[in-house]
Amino acid sequence: MPRREDERVLRGQAQYLDDVHLDGMLHVAFVRSPFPRARIGGIAKPDGVFVLTAADLGPEVRGLPTQTLPGIELADAAHPVLARDEARYVGQAVAAVVAVSRAEAEDAAELVEVDWEPLDAVVDPRAAPEWLYRYSGSGGDVEGGFARAEHTIRQSFSIPRIVTSPIETHGAIAAPRPDGGLTVWASAQGRDRTRDQLRHALGRDDVEVVVPDVGGAFGSKGAIAPEYAATALCAAALGRPVKWTEDRLENFLAAYQGRGLEADVELAVDGEGRFLAIRARLYADAGAYLYPTTPTPGQTTANLLCGCYAIPACAVEVYGARTTKVPVGPSRGAGRPEAALLVEGMVEEAGRQLGRDPVELRRRNFVREFPHRTPLGYVYDSGDFERCLDRALELVRPERSRDGERLVGTGIGCYVERAGGMWETASVAREDGRVVVTAGSSPHGQGHATTFAQIAADELGVPAEQVEVRFEGGGIGTFASRSVAMAGSAVALACRKLLAEGGDSATVRFESDMVFSSGCYAAVVEVERATGRLTILRIAAVDDCGRVVNPLLAEGQVYGGTAYGLGECLVEEARTDEWGNPLATSFASYHLLTAAEIPPVEPAFVETPSPLNPLGAKGIGEGGSIGVLPAIANAVGDACGRKIDPPFGAEKLWEAIR
Amino acid sequence: MRVSVEINGRPYERDVEPRTLLSDFVRHDCGLTGTHVGCEHGVCGACTVQLDGVPVRSCLLLAVQADGRSVRTVEGLEWGPLQEAFHAHHGLQCGFCTPGILITVDALRGQALDDAQIRDALAGNLCRCTGYVQIVEAVKEALNA
Repeated sequence: MPRREDERVLRGQAQYLDDVHLDGMLHVAFVRSPFPRARIGGIAKPDGVFVLTAADLGPEVRGLPTQTLPGIELADAAHPVLARDEARYVGQAVAAVVAVSRAEAEDAAELVEVDWEPLDAVVDPRAAPEWLYRYSGSGGDVEGGFARAEHTIRQSFSIPRIVTSPIETHGAIAAPRPDGGLTVWASAQGRDRTRDQLRHALGRDDVEVVVPDVGGAFGSKGAIAPEYAATALCAAALGRPVKWTEDRLENFLAAYQGRGLEADVELAVDGEGRFLAIRARLYADAGAYLYPTTPTPGQTTANLLCGCYAIPACAVEVYGARTTKVPVGPSRGAGRPEAALLVEGMVEEAGRQLGRDPVELRRRNFVREFPHRTPLGYVYDSGDFERCLDRALELVRPERSRDGERLVGTGIGCYVERAGGMWETASVAREDGRVVVTAGSSPHGQGHATTFAQIAADELGVPAEQVEVRFEGGGIGTFASRSVAMAGSAVALACRKLLAEGGDSATVRFESDMVFSSGCYAAVVEVERATGRLTILRIAAVDDCGRVVNPLLAEGQVYGGTAYGLGECLVEEARTDEWGNPLATSFASYHLLTAAEIPPVEPAFVETPSPLNPLGAKGIGEGGSIGVLPAIANAVGDACGRKIDPPFGAEKLWEAIR
Repeated sequence: MRVSVEINGRPYERDVEPRTLLSDFVRHDCGLTGTHVGCEHGVCGACTVQLDGVPVRSCLLLAVQADGRSVRTVEGLEWGPLQEAFHAHHGLQCGFCTPGILITVDALRGQALDDAQIRDALAGNLCRCTGYVQIVEAVKEALNA
C-alpha cells in the first residue's frame, strides 16, 4: 500500500524545521574551534552584538546528559553546551552570536576574538591515554575454548568513521512562551527524549518540544546537538524566538559521526570446524565528549560478536577512546554492521586459513534453536539463519575467478541484529465514524502513519482510509528499527482492547524485550587487475524482519539501508590528517553515492515471526546497512585473496593485488 | 537591491541584499519553502529549481541573477503522472530531496530514456533514504506515461 504521507511532500507542502517562521525571530551563528584541541585564554566580544559564551551560563546549565548502560563505565566528560576553558575538536562551538539574519550573525561571529593556545591532538584510538567509556563482557569458558582449539584464527580490522549526512541537517527554533517556559521546535527522532535531554542540558523543567517534518536522521537526531541548548539559552536571554539551521559545513564538523572502530579478534576452532570461543578487544574512536548515546554502538558491537553462531564462549573488551575529534554516536546500524563485519570476517579468515568452505563453516555453526541465549546475555527470539543463507546464495549465483584481467569473488554477510525493546504507548478512539490512532513513536521518513493505519484497519476490520494517525508523544522514539515491533504492537493491542471492552477509546503501554532481526546478504564483485577498480555485479538482500506489514515500504527500507552500507564500502570515510584536522568537510571531499553508482540489488524476505509481540514483527530499518558491509568486504576478500578493510577504493585494492 | 522575478507564473518584487542566494530568496523572501537547502555548495541538488525552464541549483545563483527571469519551483508543478508514479513506487521517504528531484525530472518530459540514462539524469540529486531504486522505477513509469 502506498503512503498517505506522500501527497503533501510531493506538492512541496511539508514543513521541515527551516520552513518554520515565527514573528520577531532572530538567528544564531556559532564561533567554532579551528583547532583539534586548544586552551581558551579569553574571548573578546564585539560591541553591540549579543554573544553567549560558557562564562555567561548559570550553574544550572549542565551540558548534555549521559546515559549509563549495564556494564559500562563512563568518564566525567558530558558534552558541554559551549566550550569553557578548552576546545577538544575542530568545529566545537565556543560562542553563540545572535542577529536579525543568519548572514548578519555570521558576519558578527567573525568579529568575536578567541585567544587560542593550541594543544596536542589525540588521533589514534589505540594510543589514546584517556577513555570516555569502557565496557567488558564475558560468558562461557573462553580460556578452555582456546585451550581445546585445534586452530586459533587471529585478525585485526579497521572500520573508518562515517558522516551520517541526512539531507536535512540539524536545526532548532526556541521561543519563550507567555507562561515563562520555552518551546523548542527541533529536527529530531522523537519528541519526548529530545525534551528530556533539553531539560537536563538547560537545567529547567518548563521546556516543551515540537517535532516538525524531519528530513532524515539515520540515528544522528536521536540525541540533541549542543547547539539546540545554546539556541534555547539565547532565546531565553533575549526574550525572542531564535533559530539555528545547521549548515552542511557545521554538519560535517560538529554533528556526531558513526562507526570508527579498530578491533583485534580471535576465534577458537576445533578440528571439525566448530567455533569454540571468540574474544576481541575493540578500540572505539569515541571522540572528544560523551553524547548520551556515544557508548551505544561499541556496546552493541561487543554484544553481537557471536553473530548468527552458537559459539559457547565469548569475551570482549571495549575501550571507548577519548580522541580530539567530533564525538561518535548511532548511525544507521549503530554497532551492528561493525559486529557483522568482524564475525563474518573471522569466518572467512577461518575458511582461508583452514582450507575450508566458509559457507560450510557457517552451516556447521549456525544457531538453530530459539530462543537462544548468547554468552553475553542477548536472547535471540526467532530466526532461520540457514534459510536466509540458502535464499541469498540462490539469488546471487556465486562466481569466482582469479585468472585474467578481472578478479571475481563472492562474499556472504550473515547478520543478526538487536531491534525494538523498551516500551511505546498508543491509543485508539472512535470519533464520528472514524478511528483515530495516537502513537508515541514519530516518523522521519519511514511512513509510520501508513503502517499504523494498516495495522489498526486490520485489527478493527475497517478500511485504512477511515483511520487517522496522530503523533503526540508518549513514547521513546524512532530508532533501533523499533517502530513496527513496538509502536505498531501498541497500536494493535489498543485496537484489541477497544474491541474487547467495547468503549469509545483504549490506551495501551506495550513493553517488550528486544527482538532479533536477521538476514543474509551476498554479493558478487569484480576487481580490475590493472587498476584495482571495484565493480559490484549484483547483491542479494535477504532479510528476516518477522512479519512484514507493508512490503512496499519494507523494500524501501532494504534498498535505502543497502545504499547506506554501500556508501561506506565504496567511498565514505571521514578521515582526519595526522594532526586531527578533519578532511571531510563538504560533499566535494566526502561523497554520497548517486543513482548512477548503485549496483543491482535483489531483495527477498524470510518471515519467522517474533513470539514477543502481537504482530510477530522484528525490524527492517537497518538490515541493509548491516548485511551489505560484510557481504562486500568478503567478496572483495574472495576476489583479492585476503582481508581488506573498507572502503574499497581502487588504490587500496591495487596495492593489495599487485 | 530591487529584484523582480516571476515564480510559478506570479510576479515577486523584493528588496534584497546583493549577496542573497536565489535559494534563500525563494524560501525566505517569497515564502516558497517547498524548495529545500541541503548543502549550499551545489552538490546535493535539493534546491534545484527551473530557471527559464532549465534545472539549476538555486544555492549557486544570487537572487539578482534571476532578476527579470522566470523561476519554477515544486509548488508550481501540476499534479500528474510524475507525482502519481512517485507515490505508487514509494519514490520518496523523508521527502527532503523530493522537490529537487521532481523539478529535475519534470525537465526531462518527452524524452525516451533507458535505465542508465535515467540514473545519470538523477545523479545530480542526492537521496540518503531510498537507495534510488524506487525513484528510478517511478521516473521510468512517469516518462513512459
